[in-house]
Amino acid sequence: MGKTKWIAALGITTMLFGSVLAGCGGDEKSEQANGGSKQGEKVEVTLAGWGGNPSEQKLLQQTLDDFEKKHPNIKVKYEVIADQYMDVIKTRLAGGQGPDVFYLDAFEAPALIETGALEPLDKYVTDEFDVNDFEKPMLDAFKGEDGKIYGFPKDYSTLALFYNKKMFEEAGIEVPKTWDELREAAKKLTKGKDVYGFGVAPELARLYYIAESKGGKVVTDNKASFADSKVVEALQPIVDMHLKDKTAAQPNEVGATWGGEMFGQGKAAMVIEGNWAIPFLQDTFPNLEFGTAEIPTINGKKATMAYTVAYVMNKDSQKKEAAWELISYLTGKEGMKTWTSKGYALPTRKSVAAELGFDKDPLRAPLVAGAPYATVWQNGTNLPIIVNNFNNQFVSAFLGERPLADALKEAEKTANSEIESR
Amino acid sequence: MKQTLTKKMWRETGSAYLFLSPALFVLLLFIIGPIVFAVFLAFHKVQLLGTTSFEFVGLDNFARIADDTRAKIALWNTLKYVAIVVPCQTILALVLAATLNAGLKGEKFFRIVYFLPTLTSSAVLTLIFMWMYNQNGLINHVLEAVGLPTYNWLGDPDVALNAIMIMNIWSTAPYFMVIYLAALQDIPDSLYEAAELDGADAWQKFWHVTVPYLRPVTSFVVVMGLIGTFQLFDQSYIFSAGSGGPNNSTLTVVLLIYQYAFKTLGTMGYAAALAFALAIIILIATLLQRKLSKEESLY
Repeated sequence: MGKTKWIAALGITTMLFGSVLAGCGGDEKSEQANGGSKQGEKVEVTLAGWGGNPSEQKLLQQTLDDFEKKHPNIKVKYEVIADQYMDVIKTRLAGGQGPDVFYLDAFEAPALIETGALEPLDKYVTDEFDVNDFEKPMLDAFKGEDGKIYGFPKDYSTLALFYNKKMFEEAGIEVPKTWDELREAAKKLTKGKDVYGFGVAPELARLYYIAESKGGKVVTDNKASFADSKVVEALQPIVDMHLKDKTAAQPNEVGATWGGEMFGQGKAAMVIEGNWAIPFLQDTFPNLEFGTAEIPTINGKKATMAYTVAYVMNKDSQKKEAAWELISYLTGKEGMKTWTSKGYALPTRKSVAAELGFDKDPLRAPLVAGAPYATVWQNGTNLPIIVNNFNNQFVSAFLGERPLADALKEAEKTANSEIESR
Repeated sequence: MKQTLTKKMWRETGSAYLFLSPALFVLLLFIIGPIVFAVFLAFHKVQLLGTTSFEFVGLDNFARIADDTRAKIALWNTLKYVAIVVPCQTILALVLAATLNAGLKGEKFFRIVYFLPTLTSSAVLTLIFMWMYNQNGLINHVLEAVGLPTYNWLGDPDVALNAIMIMNIWSTAPYFMVIYLAALQDIPDSLYEAAELDGADAWQKFWHVTVPYLRPVTSFVVVMGLIGTFQLFDQSYIFSAGSGGPNNSTLTVVLLIYQYAFKTLGTMGYAAALAFALAIIILIATLLQRKLSKEESLY
């Protein structure tokens, strides 16, 4: 009796152990089996990105289908990471389970390149791929300190002034050409707490070009330097519009989540947004009559922001050749043309931009026009830390809790001490 | 005889451990292992991405906490949160339980209604509350209707943390209420009868019989409350979209740990050190609580 019990116990335990171990090991083995890109065998490449709106997804799917048709031995597995994209990607890369190809925002690029988690792409590039066709600032955003290219920008977006045509007509004013005009226009457009003249996003990603408009620098030598009096002077008007004129508000003050929504709901007569707001407004607020214009000049100089995203390759990828095929198609002339054909984002290749003619589209022309003089949203490996501290303190100044100069001074100190102790 | 007994004992312990081994294995792998690894990380400068590196830095990570303004803000916010939420939710739970135990009409109905918030996941709850806290949302409308001032609950640094406090008290008090309710049913009626004979009114009975009798339960509720509130993360994370804003007002220690661990690269070691420090703070708070409430004995 005793003996049989023993054997039974042993049996159960080994079974349990076995299944646990099998569960752990199984994935790795099958992964490796898939990994070897043998000739003739179908290779599966994983591509990770964040989801866009449905029409955008359809475009991407179409581009991927075209690719698979041309490369019958490669299958693309597209994964959408809906929330906290970079956190997920970083964690997966650290765990050795990263996708072969994934989206990377220029803003995050330098820090990720520095860690060595990305594959440099120079050795794959052929003459046919035509690197010089890319807009240079967008391409430079993905160059490492070693001068190598780690990603090819899939598209970009600039900021432009969105204005509500009806409100402008009622107020009888013209679209502002300078920031001083914008401030005056905002006064005329504001109707108490129901309609604000200008909807503003008090964050560095949207204010960077304004902050540097008087000659100050937000980042110097990879450290925060935004407490510079020139930066404070440049940003002060934004704070004044909120506190003194009461003509500007941030979206959450009127119960909106972002500028586009605030503008669409008619709670702001002007906002500064990017490409993405155009399809959003057309879909969500079909009756809204709006126009776009280049951002008003500051000190007679034109300025705007450019945001760009690239396809990059995981250094630990087992299928680099196939991954490159995918990247080169997606950022190549043909793939990029399909992807940007509907104008959700602007093509980073000059030839594609010329072919699609977005510079003639009335809503998108101001956005395209901004590309040559735009500041690319990227600056060194410490920008994420700098932004975090800037945003946190800038809001307190924007809300009138303390003077802007003090807030920025403290934020700069905190950011730099965080950077030094890294 | 003696020998066979030991043999039998050995065999029984052996098979017991054999049966336990899957559980022990899982415990070691998923609970003990990570804890040990986290402590290891706390003493190293870690780069997990790309070229993985561990550099021993001794107590540097802990020393860094002292110079970190954001860590201080996070700790202050968390302490403030604990100091307000724990007493409030404990008292509210006790009061709710006492009213439910008083034998009023529709008791069962109210028991269900009160307990409902606990059943919702905190993420969903936060989203619902954010919607109600909206500038022109339900709560501001109600406040306006009764002539009270309205707030920018989500965007104003002065009220954002309070908004989370209210939400959390509302959602966790019912859970503790159930524990109190169970304990209340346990109080012998004879105690109340004796008090009545001595001429005690309802309030005196509550204060001199119910409250002291519930002391061990209160002790449990407070300790659980302390641990739970020190670990505040999901509400403030969703509230501020992970930033701890506006103006660092909803930054909690766990949120800061998350930011250092996953948002900024190469600060995993520092995040582990912060987590270690938080564990010690919770330990001290719990020990203090036990010291203050003194007895663990039942009446």
